[in-house]
Amino acid sequence: MTTTASVIDRLKSRIGVDGPAVMATVEAGHVRRFAEAIGDPNPRWVKEAPPTFLVALAPVSLHLAEAEEYGKGWLNGGNRFEYFAPVKIGDQITATGRIADVYEKSGSTGTLLFIVFETDYVNQRGDLVARLRGTTIRR
Amino acid sequence: MNVKVGEELPDLVKHPTTRQLVQYAGAQGDFYEIHYDQEYAHSVALPGVILHGLLKAAFLGQLVTDWLGDRGTLKTFEVSYRGVDVPAHPYRCRGRVTRVAGNEVELEVWGEDETGKRTTVGTATVGLPD
Repeated sequence: MTTTASVIDRLKSRIGVDGPAVMATVEAGHVRRFAEAIGDPNPRWVKEAPPTFLVALAPVSLHLAEAEEYGKGWLNGGNRFEYFAPVKIGDQITATGRIADVYEKSGSTGTLLFIVFETDYVNQRGDLVARLRGTTIRR
Repeated sequence: MNVKVGEELPDLVKHPTTRQLVQYAGAQGDFYEIHYDQEYAHSVALPGVILHGLLKAAFLGQLVTDWLGDRGTLKTFEVSYRGVDVPAHPYRCRGRVTRVAGNEVELEVWGEDETGKRTTVGTATVGLPD
């Protein structure tokens, strides 16, 4: 049987190790459906992507199957976006994600496992357009 | 751009529905059952299906981009999820200017449920043209 400690150790061993790069094109139809889903009618989103769109382009705060041995559900703790250049329709983005941190914390409902993911988004010209840090919690 | 510390952003009130959660699940590609399957949500001790944290982040992103328009660019945007929100209840997004330093403006943003509880809190920084 797997112990809680070994789940944490295994996740910790992956800190800083890049996952496989995911390439995706920023498609007009996808951005439109995303803008409709969030209910944002700004005409700007015909040409560029709204601030949180990158999370839809490539998986970021992965629900790691191996972390599911811990607790019974996932919660999103928070997200931090840093923007360096606009993301436009037609851009080809390469997303590379990694675990940045893993730690346990006691909360009012018991112990929680925090996994911090970091994803870099680079466009077809090699420019870093954004970096995302997401904190995912197992409860 | 004439921005002063203490200036409030115009409120943005959203009316999320279960339908919108399904729409968002599809658009983002997040098919975690707690956002559309009531039975599953109850089985993991939630009050029912809940809003995606990132949907609330998107609402707050709209609050900022609506206010900003083409006056500047978003540099950072950070949100923390402090509580769960369920559909069929209004979600009010609010914000205010907390700092103006040269070409950089810092904002405090938050989302409130209908009781006024801040279930999402965050900050944003925007850069103004030289």
